[in-house]
Amino acid sequence: MAEATLFLILALLPGLALAQAPKADLECRSTGTDFVYDCTIRVTRGGKPLEGARITVGADMPSMPMAHNIKPVKAQPAQAPGEYRARLDLEMLGVWAVKLRLAGPVRDQLILHYEFDSKGASPAHR
Amino acid sequence: MTDLAQNTLDGLFLGSSYALLALGFTLIFGVLRRVNLSFGPAVMFGCYAATWVHLNFGAGLVLLAIVTVLGSILAGAYVERLCFAPHRGGSAIAAMVASFALWMQFEELATIALPRHVYDFPPLHGGAPLAFGALTLRVESLVMLLAAVLVCAFLWWILYRTRFGVAVRAVIDQPQAAQLAGISVPRIFMLTFALASAIGGLAGFLIASSHEQVTPMLGMWSTMKGLLAMMLGGLGSLPGAVLGGLALGLLEAHSQWFFGPQTRDLIAYALLFILLAARVPWMTTRSAS
Amino acid sequence: MDDYAIGVLTNVGLISFLALSAYLLLIAGEMSFGQQAFFGVGAYAGGMLTAMYGWPLPLAALCAMALGALAQFLVGLPTLRLRGLYFAMATLAAAEMARILFELFHFQRQLEGEPVGPDGTQGFRGIRWVFEHGVEPLGYLGIVYALLALALAAFLLVERSRLGATLRGVGEDPELAASLGVDVNRVKLGVAAAAGALAALGGVLYAHHNTYIEPRNFDIMLGVHSLAYALIGGLGTALGPLVGVALDIGALEGSRVFHGYRMIVFGGLVALLLIWRPRGLLDERAVLWLKRRFS
Repeated sequence: MAEATLFLILALLPGLALAQAPKADLECRSTGTDFVYDCTIRVTRGGKPLEGARITVGADMPSMPMAHNIKPVKAQPAQAPGEYRARLDLEMLGVWAVKLRLAGPVRDQLILHYEFDSKGASPAHR
Repeated sequence: MTDLAQNTLDGLFLGSSYALLALGFTLIFGVLRRVNLSFGPAVMFGCYAATWVHLNFGAGLVLLAIVTVLGSILAGAYVERLCFAPHRGGSAIAAMVASFALWMQFEELATIALPRHVYDFPPLHGGAPLAFGALTLRVESLVMLLAAVLVCAFLWWILYRTRFGVAVRAVIDQPQAAQLAGISVPRIFMLTFALASAIGGLAGFLIASSHEQVTPMLGMWSTMKGLLAMMLGGLGSLPGAVLGGLALGLLEAHSQWFFGPQTRDLIAYALLFILLAARVPWMTTRSAS
Repeated sequence: MDDYAIGVLTNVGLISFLALSAYLLLIAGEMSFGQQAFFGVGAYAGGMLTAMYGWPLPLAALCAMALGALAQFLVGLPTLRLRGLYFAMATLAAAEMARILFELFHFQRQLEGEPVGPDGTQGFRGIRWVFEHGVEPLGYLGIVYALLALALAAFLLVERSRLGATLRGVGEDPELAASLGVDVNRVKLGVAAAAGALAALGGVLYAHHNTYIEPRNFDIMLGVHSLAYALIGGLGTALGPLVGVALDIGALEGSRVFHGYRMIVFGGLVALLLIWRPRGLLDERAVLWLKRRFS
């Protein structure tokens, strides 16, 4: 009940600034096993690295929606601030929409398109 | 002027592949009165089987063609047994949704067996295209057109010069009477399915070797083009399927030239919608529910 | 409940709107391959209103529903006299046209130095109203299911009423209904508008759940899937489509047992199920049996 009222109140307030939206990019390398990649995720917010984020990484293939079933993995913090590591086990090569779910300190969701080949991943422009 | 001629030529070649696909669809629809959403995927299964053979044994084109056709027939038989035979007297929607479910199976099977998004398929003709004056003719396109002509002739011969053909035509025109006359309708269904799948398989082989690649999208693509061509030419009419396929090919070739690939598809769909909405006679006379 | 389970449940709810919209049309005798287009209309309209113009989500959702209803009405009008496969192919053509139009649609605004809005095949990212207003995943799940419950309640009310009988009558035998004085065209157009609104509601909620939409999300696969869910779950009651969705997305995606083989298993199950029950699990006979059992 409280949730609903809060939602209604918040619903009528104007939106917050976009400048607070986090940004991310990916760097992936094949581990040698088919379709398994070690990825480094760099997250920034307002130009500064975002530390202490709890990130869950998932993926779907845009050209075959609902067709794949990738188990979401939790990313671990890496050495550098704003950097995180995750191992992705994909089912096919090709363009994937990688979904980053941030649970803290900000709650957000980012979707990045990358082309995965036998060596690693590169940003996909369509 | 040469552009117009070239596009028309390209359109005819493209249209031949659509015509072959539409023929397969129409055979099944004409005889079974059902839409088989797994037609394209069964063709894709055949193409993937051939790709697998090619990757593991490096086989020649003739063998690959045979594998594609046999693979499509096998896949088609599976679909027929599971989706169409059980619903013979019953619900058309159930049969169609079941065929959609099997489409999902074929797609997943393809991606499991061959996980890369694109695979090379050996080309039909490795050399340069022929040139006639200012026009270019790819050898593959000529083969495709020839195949379409031969398949049409073959179908005509089967339908009008064999006992099997008489039975098929009887089932198409008067299913009740055919059954009363002692024709085994289930057998006709099975054989028609096999024939349609074989034609589809041939089309698939020619398409794959013309494009020199296979992707898991081949299933959906073949189904859409086959359906479109079949609808444009008039549901359930074999000559219509050929004309519809050629018309679609011509429309696409010219639209793409003037407007680009997306608008090309937009025009094809818009045309279908308008023709359906206007209930043009040749398109909407056969009962389809 | 962990975030992944919440996500799966939310997806079940979202797709249920689409399945319900296909179901509504099936009951009234029309098989539509095109509901995904109205899902898309809702998604794009709702997303644009909140992300580009700062509208609050409830208002954007209402507007999206109105647009969805209008769009499906406009498709329904020229196709009134089409039946069976002809109608289905017309809806398919319309839906593919819509998808291609989404691919050609570029409309962005500069907000805080960043372009926001649909960018053709590159998609429409940054639909962040949910995050900007601090709605938690569990809260959003609650909203989706609350709205779904409202829709279901409306369905169940209609099914018991004369309107429900009229709808099914038009679906079974339009000539008979017409001879009994029913304005079949009005019924069909009304059903079209309602189905469009329902699909659009699902769409706007989907856009805000995913924060990103692209034209490929709204292709034929989605449409045929929703038709399949409605049929598999059963055409006897509005709960049927939900059962269908829950079976596929919920049980099979939620359980990791069939990792990599999900569609093969599900496809086979569906084909077998349809042999046993051509009108779905909760078909009219089953619903009647259940009603007798529990009354």
